[in-house]
Amino acid sequence: MSIRSNQARLIKMSILGQIVSPRFPSLPANPHVIDRSGKPVLVPQWGGIVYNVRTGDPAFGWVGDNIEPGVAIKNREDGPNHALNVFACVGNVAKVMSGGARGARGIVTGKSGRFAEHVIVDFPPDTLDLLAPDDGVQVQTYGRGLALPEHPEVMCKSVSPELLTALDLRVTADGALEVPVVATVPPHRVGAGAGLDNEGGALSIQGGSREEMAALGIADLRLGDLVAFTDYDSTYGHGYFKGGCSIGVVGHTDSVRVGFGPGVTILFAARVPALVPRLDPAANIANYLPFSGLTLPALVATGGE
Amino acid sequence: MLRTNEERLIQMAVAAEAWSPALPRTNYRASAEGVPMLFYGTAGIILNARVGCRAYGWASDHIEPGVSVRHRDDGTEHALHYLNCVGNEVIVTTGGARGAKGTITGEHAHLLVDFPPDVMEEMAIGDKMVVRTHGVGLALLDYPHITVRKTSPALLHAMGIEEIGEGRLRVPVTAIMPAYLMGSGAELMPEYVDQDLMSNDRAAIAAHGLDRLRVGDIVAIQDHDHSTGRGYREGSIVIGLINHGDSYLMGHGPGVMTLLSCPTPHLEPVLDPRANVANHLGIGDWAATPEWPAEEAIA
Repeated sequence: MSIRSNQARLIKMSILGQIVSPRFPSLPANPHVIDRSGKPVLVPQWGGIVYNVRTGDPAFGWVGDNIEPGVAIKNREDGPNHALNVFACVGNVAKVMSGGARGARGIVTGKSGRFAEHVIVDFPPDTLDLLAPDDGVQVQTYGRGLALPEHPEVMCKSVSPELLTALDLRVTADGALEVPVVATVPPHRVGAGAGLDNEGGALSIQGGSREEMAALGIADLRLGDLVAFTDYDSTYGHGYFKGGCSIGVVGHTDSVRVGFGPGVTILFAARVPALVPRLDPAANIANYLPFSGLTLPALVATGGE
Repeated sequence: MLRTNEERLIQMAVAAEAWSPALPRTNYRASAEGVPMLFYGTAGIILNARVGCRAYGWASDHIEPGVSVRHRDDGTEHALHYLNCVGNEVIVTTGGARGAKGTITGEHAHLLVDFPPDVMEEMAIGDKMVVRTHGVGLALLDYPHITVRKTSPALLHAMGIEEIGEGRLRVPVTAIMPAYLMGSGAELMPEYVDQDLMSNDRAAIAAHGLDRLRVGDIVAIQDHDHSTGRGYREGSIVIGLINHGDSYLMGHGPGVMTLLSCPTPHLEPVLDPRANVANHLGIGDWAATPEWPAEEAIA
C-alpha cells in the first residue's frame, strides 16, 4: 500500500564528509574502556574503515565496541558536520569524491559516533579495498522535512524517501501507521542516547548476556534490522512516554559498556499511538535498499558474551 | 557506626570560582512538546533557590540552586569533577565573602555549593574558592559488594543508614524510581555528573510519587546498577541524590547523582520524607520550604 508523502517538494543537497580514522586519547593514554563486569578492556571502537562487518551481520558477539559497519564519515568542521549529521538520511546515496575509489557509490545506513558525530556508509568490499581515511565522501542528503499528510502525528526522522517507498508500510483499522520491525524493545532497556539529539546519533539498546538478549527476543538482531522502542517518544529528543513509539534501524554493533549496546538510528517517531510496529523477521534495510553485492546471510548464533 | 577506610582518604584542595551563566546568541530550544523555549537555569549565583527547594515548577531548566562553581583550566576543572564529594567544605578566598564557608551539594555542569543568603549577597561572579575534596576512594569495610561514590564521610554518616544484618544496609529515601524512567546520562560514568530522571510523562511521575521531589533528596533507583557504568540490571539498586531541578527537554528532568550502588538487593530503601541532604547536613532551605499545593507541585 502506498503512503502519501510530500517527497516531491523536498530538497536534495550534497554535504561533504571525510572518512574518519579511529581515535584514541593522546598521552597520558588510557586505551581501555570499562566493560560490564568492571574490567578495563582494549578492543576496536567507533570509526574507521571496517572490512568484515556489514549490514546483515549480527549486531551482537563481535570483539569490538560500537563498531560502525563499512565506513564512518564526518566533516572536519563542526558546523558542516552537524549539517551532515542532521540532513543525512538512511538510504541516501553517498559518493566517493576523492582518492582511489573516486566515483564509487554507497548507501547511508545509520548515524553514530562517540559524540554522535558520524554518518555510517555502506560500500561493497571491492570499494572498501580502495578507500582510505580522509577520502571525501559526499552524501546526497534527501529526506529532511518528509511528512505523511495522512499521519500528521507521525514524524519522519532520518528516513529517506528511497527507504520510505521501499518499506512495506500499512495502515491499521484505526488509522495508525504500521511499520515492519524484527523486534520491539521495552523502555527499561533503552540506554545512552536518552535525552540527547534525536536527529543525529543513535539511541542505544542496553546490551547484556545472550540469555538476557534472548529473553527480550533480540539475541539474533542484525545490523540493518528495524526495531521499535515502545513507550518511547523521539519526536523532540528521546525519552520515556507511555503510548509513544520510536522505530529505527540498527546501525552499529553492541558495546562492552554498561548502558550501551546496538545503536538505533530513528526513522519514525510518535508520542501518541499513531505509529505501531508489525513483527516481520525480514524487516532489514538489506531487503529494501539497492545494496551492491549484499545478500542477507543466514541467521548465525553469535554466542553473546 | 559504619566501618570505613575514611582515615586513609586524602583531603586535597582544588581551586574553583563562582561561575557566570553564558548563553548563546540564539537561545531557543524545542521542549519535549515541540514548543520553542528560552533555555537558562544553570550557573551563576542563585539567590532564591537553595538545596532543599522543590525540584519542579521553577521557570528555568536544570536549575542549579546556590552558587555554581568551576575552573577555567580544563585539567583543574576535571580534578574538581572527579575529586569533589557531596558534603565537602568550600572556603571563599577572595572578594567580599572572603573567609565564608559553604558545602558541596552536588555536581552537574558545575559544582553546586550552598552558602547562607548573607554570604551570597556579598559574593561576586569570579570570586575564588578552595574546595576541600575528601571522599574519593571511600569504601565500606564490611560491605564490599556496595560501591560508594561522590559521598563525603560527613554525608555518609549523616544519612541515617542502618545495618540490618546479612550484608544489608537500610537507607532512608524520599522516593523509589523504576529503571525505565532513567534517561540522559547513561553515557556517563557514575563518578561523573548525573543521570536525569525523565519527567516528561507527568502521569508516570505522579504514579511513583516523584512529583514532590526536592533538590537534595536521597532517592533509590530499582533495577539499576552503577557499579561500572549506568544501566539496567535486574535486582540491583542505586541510592542517589537529586542535584538539580526539572527540565522541559525530552529525556531530561531532575538529575540523580550516584552515591551507593549494589548489583544485588543488599541496599534496602525505606521511605522517609526527611531524607534530604539539606536536612542531613543542616544546610540550605529544607526546613523553610513550604509544602506546595499538590496541583502546583509539578507545574
